[in-house]
Amino acid sequence: MSTRSTVVELTPGAESRRSLVGDLWRHRDVLAMLARTDFQVRYKRATLGVLWAVVVPLVQAAVLAAVFSRVLRLASSQDYAVFVLSGVLPWTYFATSATAGATAVVDGAEITEKVWFPRAMLPIVPALANFAGFAVALVLMVAIMPIFGVVPDQNLLWLVPACGLLVAFTAAFSLVAAALHVYFRDVRYLVQAGLLVWFYATPVIYPLRLARGLKPLLEANPMTGILGLFRAATSGAEPHWLLDAAIALAWTLALLVIAVEVYRRRDRVLVDLL
Amino acid sequence: MTTAIALEGVGKRYWKFEEQAMLMRSLLPSARPRRSELWALRDVSFSVEQGETVGILGRNGSGKTTLLRLLAGVTRPSEGRVRVVGTVAPLISVGVGFRREMSGRENVYLNGMILGLTKTEIEARLDDIVSFAELGDFIDTPVKFYSSGMFLRLGFSVAVHTDPEVLLIDEVLAVGDVAFRAKCVERMRLIQESGTAIVLVSHSLDAVRGLCRRALLLRRGVLDFDGETEGAIDRYHEQLSAEPGESEETARTERRHVFVGGATILDRALVGPDGPAHYLDRDAPVEFRARVRFEQPTADPVFGFQILSEEGSVAYGCHTEVGLHHRSFAAGEEADVRIRFVPRLAGGSYRAMCSVVSANGRGLLADDHRGVVFFVDRRPGVYGAADLGGSLTVDGIELIATLDGDRPCA
Repeated sequence: MSTRSTVVELTPGAESRRSLVGDLWRHRDVLAMLARTDFQVRYKRATLGVLWAVVVPLVQAAVLAAVFSRVLRLASSQDYAVFVLSGVLPWTYFATSATAGATAVVDGAEITEKVWFPRAMLPIVPALANFAGFAVALVLMVAIMPIFGVVPDQNLLWLVPACGLLVAFTAAFSLVAAALHVYFRDVRYLVQAGLLVWFYATPVIYPLRLARGLKPLLEANPMTGILGLFRAATSGAEPHWLLDAAIALAWTLALLVIAVEVYRRRDRVLVDLL
Repeated sequence: MTTAIALEGVGKRYWKFEEQAMLMRSLLPSARPRRSELWALRDVSFSVEQGETVGILGRNGSGKTTLLRLLAGVTRPSEGRVRVVGTVAPLISVGVGFRREMSGRENVYLNGMILGLTKTEIEARLDDIVSFAELGDFIDTPVKFYSSGMFLRLGFSVAVHTDPEVLLIDEVLAVGDVAFRAKCVERMRLIQESGTAIVLVSHSLDAVRGLCRRALLLRRGVLDFDGETEGAIDRYHEQLSAEPGESEETARTERRHVFVGGATILDRALVGPDGPAHYLDRDAPVEFRARVRFEQPTADPVFGFQILSEEGSVAYGCHTEVGLHHRSFAAGEEADVRIRFVPRLAGGSYRAMCSVVSANGRGLLADDHRGVVFFVDRRPGVYGAADLGGSLTVDGIELIATLDGDRPCA
């Protein structure tokens, strides 16, 4: 029992950065448990269960690929299917996780009002829980790539940093949005509406080179760099993809720094506003 | 002994916004929502040693729940310092922190982990937790299908099985059924002996009396008393009679009627054989007296009377029949209302009050939030709303004494 013993000392003001990180580390089991159950709860009562986590983005990607390559004839090459898939899968992961993550602190009130664990875990949960389905969909995509004439090569290794950056950015974005959402309940809708605009402001279904004059704007968008990494691994790299990835990394780090500052000051105050 | 909990000059301030803060408003400095501060706790200092059990008394809104939230680490003080040594298992109201969609078993794991156990430690205790909670096969059902009793039992079971060094309990003992409540009290005695510090918040003075040697009394966020439980309870009674307030239950019962006004309740009093009475004898009839003045002509009003227990539940109520034609009152006329009753109540502090309702039973003409506070002593071993005067004998030996003056049964 004594090994678990801790001394909690609460005074007005902020927690140190170190103790915030320490608290998160000590509660890592809780984070894993929350992510696992979040994943299970979502698919438990559906007949196809976890398969839905894979099927939904695949259907979405298939529809977009069909619409843009066949109906609108924007793209003609066969590898457009792979191009769209490699954009839609990470985008869907980001959009679903960020929507849930942005409201996680408010939605998690039922557990945080009674017992304390770092609130900063709640917004990260969707980013972790959704990753399982995303990873399976990604593997499926790689498996069917040859059908569309794209043979995987050693570039596939770029998927590792691509996934890492995607998860980190999604978590960082959710953390900041979730804290804001406690204060301003408009954030829920701002995120929903923003994601609709963001989708078209990101080269998900069109290649970056088509953007022409808007290109600098699109390259400042962190999701551009993240999708660039996924494309470098699969359908083929766009120009400046490494620079774009660096921009995305800078965004992620900046948001994480903001998140640390917010949660070490506000973690135990947010609950008063729920 | 080591100190488990120490508070030094602790205050907790909440901001009350006149309007919900909205994004657009906060961006315009001129339109910032007005806010006023509200101190839920102010300048509270005390400490609790390991193995000590402390009760916390106080009326609704006196800061009890805020205090528990601070001890649980859920919220941060606005001033002062809170220091808690060791793992804390909180039971703030019913259920620790349950996710409704998850099964009982998953919630046990989640809460066990939040309370600092490892997965293997929880696995080892799972059977004990389930059997203590008397859940059986329901352990794999999502907790949203649980009855409030099951919810409570599981919450209590998890909290006590995590070997907490500090256990916080809020009102749980008031909810469970009798058998489970007895089991909880027994379990808490064991925990007390193991050196755990327990902080118990309860409206049930019996629970506090039974488990705590020391009690704190809060009054409007300030520590009003810290010492022997009996002293705290006496002081609490003084507080109740000095400033009887509106209980949640009265507010709820009276909301059934629409308040229309039109009558006023004047001097109310409780009178016993020797004049005004506050400490009542269970067997002696007393009379509640009030004068009701009608501000406008009123035909056939309905008069009602209620006794509320300290928890705010209705211990007794009666009213004249709705639609009964008895008499009309002219504007400015007064009625002398008297209710004679025998206070055969289980014991504790109570509030007696009367009300006047329109002839159709819908409009509330006058109510009486304050009423008259009175006390009835408890008979050892008796609980519930009323004391029916039961005696309990085993092999002819009387273990709970009967009330006086009854005749033996055939």
